[in-house]
Amino acid sequence: MKRCAKVLVLAFGLWLGVLTGCNGPEKAAAKEEKKTFVFGDTTFNPENEEPDVNPHNTYAGWACIRYGIGETLFRYSDSMGMEPWLAAGYEIADELTWIITLRDDVAFTSGRKMDGEAVKECLEHLIEVHDRARGDLMIDTITADGQTVTIKTQAPKPALLNYLSDPYGCMIDMQAGITADGIAVGTGPYRAVSLVSGEELKLEKNENYWNGEPGFEEIIVRAISDGDTLTMALQSGEIDGAYGLPYASYPLFQNEDYTISGCATSRAFFIHMNFESPVIQEAAVRKALAMGIDKEGFVNTLLDGNGYAAAGPYPANVPFGGDAVKTEGYDPEGARRVLENAGWADSDGDGIREKNGKKLEIRWLTYPSRQELPLLAEAAQAALKDIGIAVSIQCTADHNRLRRDPGAWDVYASAMVTAPTGDPEYFFTTHCLDGSSANNGRYHSDRLEELEKELAETFDTARRGELAVLMQQAILDDNAFIFCSHLKMSMIFRAGVTGLTAHPCDFYEITADLAPVD
Amino acid sequence: MEVAGARKKKAWKDRRKCRLVLFLFLTFALLFVVIFAERFCPYDPNLQDMSRSLQPPSLAHPAGTDRFGRDMLSRILIGLKTSVASALTLVVIITVTGTAAGVICGFCGGILDSAVMRMADVCLAFPGLVIAMAIAALLNGGITSAVIALAAVSWPKYARIARSRTLTLKSADFIAAARLAGSSSAQIILGHILPNSLGPILVTAVLDIGAMLMELAGLSFLGLGAQPPTAELGNMMSGGRSMLQTYPWVVIGPGIGIFIAVVIFNLLGDAVGECLDPRGRQEKPGNYINRKGENP
Repeated sequence: MKRCAKVLVLAFGLWLGVLTGCNGPEKAAAKEEKKTFVFGDTTFNPENEEPDVNPHNTYAGWACIRYGIGETLFRYSDSMGMEPWLAAGYEIADELTWIITLRDDVAFTSGRKMDGEAVKECLEHLIEVHDRARGDLMIDTITADGQTVTIKTQAPKPALLNYLSDPYGCMIDMQAGITADGIAVGTGPYRAVSLVSGEELKLEKNENYWNGEPGFEEIIVRAISDGDTLTMALQSGEIDGAYGLPYASYPLFQNEDYTISGCATSRAFFIHMNFESPVIQEAAVRKALAMGIDKEGFVNTLLDGNGYAAAGPYPANVPFGGDAVKTEGYDPEGARRVLENAGWADSDGDGIREKNGKKLEIRWLTYPSRQELPLLAEAAQAALKDIGIAVSIQCTADHNRLRRDPGAWDVYASAMVTAPTGDPEYFFTTHCLDGSSANNGRYHSDRLEELEKELAETFDTARRGELAVLMQQAILDDNAFIFCSHLKMSMIFRAGVTGLTAHPCDFYEITADLAPVD
Repeated sequence: MEVAGARKKKAWKDRRKCRLVLFLFLTFALLFVVIFAERFCPYDPNLQDMSRSLQPPSLAHPAGTDRFGRDMLSRILIGLKTSVASALTLVVIITVTGTAAGVICGFCGGILDSAVMRMADVCLAFPGLVIAMAIAALLNGGITSAVIALAAVSWPKYARIARSRTLTLKSADFIAAARLAGSSSAQIILGHILPNSLGPILVTAVLDIGAMLMELAGLSFLGLGAQPPTAELGNMMSGGRSMLQTYPWVVIGPGIGIFIAVVIFNLLGDAVGECLDPRGRQEKPGNYINRKGENP
């Protein structure tokens, strides 16, 4: 009897095993059949002010637009010009009134049609809760009529369309609401179905997308904040594409198994001069600093060629950027002459120049979260020592507190997207004017203030470009800022995928074009 | 049997001495390299030459170059100097402060003893490295901050050892005799308690050098220790972390430096421990010798 029981148990076990064995591949096959793309990103996390995909929450709009959930009324072209997206067109009735006509074939993933009323609700909520958007857009009233929206601004706002194309301008269905975990309902090719902040976002295909058929049924975005972990995830096949890989990892993917898509962005690495520091107030010192930094060396060696040496704040792919302005080139011999003519000489033979018994020492403030900035500081330290300037580096995460203290630094190196909206005014209003919140070095120029007044009221795009060039040249002539490089933004993905294309504005990543290669 | 036992005991003693001499020699060799590091450097460790960036090991650059084109061998030598000097400074600080605190607490007792020991308990109740990271971050990083941070969390161990030795010695007959002979408290502490407590403290200190070297390198790796362009093994490894697969020599060189220094100091600590603690060798498996000198 016992023997019989044993045989039965054994037979049951075998049957169970066979059943499991048969079932496994079927399930696996089913999983494989579902076309899923896994994307790794170092920036999608609360530390980066992107805790969720609600475009009305801090910088989370970047995630909303990047991952194909939301779309804006207008979008940036490859040359950072404006082109309609959810809008069909626009008309400027007067300096304060903009009439925007909406496309008639767009619906939110909730099923609601995107009409004037939906856009009005969305924009009203945006300016209610989003300080930056309120300041940028300066909207006075919004009226909706069918597929038409009329926006009145409080003051002439020539760059209104540019600001509406900022990621915070993603159109979301306010009637569907925003969930507690920060999921909003947009019009994009994918809809967010679940989100664990700082970990994972799950997206599903928008079956009724208005602009083509999305290539994947499911997209998973993994927040991997460490670049090396991201590298290994892509190597192991855990993810199919990545944004934010360290440059040092690029050689691992420069083969036929992977595709690298990259382009120049307006993210600039630049140096602010502190005009309250006695040593920096001296024009010759500022000029020598500008001449003493080897921008090409920084880009070619330390960025592994993933950038472009900068002349001014804007890259060459915008009409008012690149070589449209003139600046000091790398000239160590010239820098030495400038310092010598200004009375700075190395009298004690220690390699550092002195004047009136005071050594030429610069306190260089920067921060480590942009991995290129400590490299720039170290490279500049060696290059400037060569011309007789001692540099002491303070690389700290506490830089935001320190940069507001004019007694704590002489130069401050930072990184920012100088033309996120494709319009030149943003950089000047945030960094260079008397009232700019990030004018850390208390720079003042009468000429710049005057030019800005004209720029603020100029609607003509060509004239705005001309003014932008004049304004850039003004700050460069004063050596108030040193622009070192513009960053090349790249995404790397497995060869079996197509349609992941880097864009100069750095906003568009996952689109309907993203698809597996058949 | 007694003769055989005595022979084995002598042989073991000789072996211990040999080990101690060998590891002392290695330690002095390491310290010699560290002290005269600048003389051994083939290049200026901070001299950048972008045209020689990330060159693999060669005759000209035996450990390769880093991304700034700096010679890795020179930087490893200077990094070793920074790391070892910082670790030794740290160990001296925690040994002196911890021992002083422990001896005074054990000798005086009372509220002072309770207060200092509860403070030590608090320090021991939290993961030391985590607190050290917080302190170093508050002090804005730098190798000095890292040393202060680790010192702040590492002294209790020494205080406890010194206190327990003091409590044992305090009630010994020779201390009572010293009191009767008119010795002051300071004389008793300095002349009798401290010399008799130093054995285990010294062993702990030597064993700690390797551990402290690792912890300092760890803080530097996290960006809370030495700052660029100071060459330090931990921050050199951190700087080359993303190049581990593409330019491995940038990480392997400093890693080998840390490995060698830590192994030498740990082996020296073991050898010193064996020599200063005769009971330790009795418990060694296979070498057990009982009190009568027999090996059963």
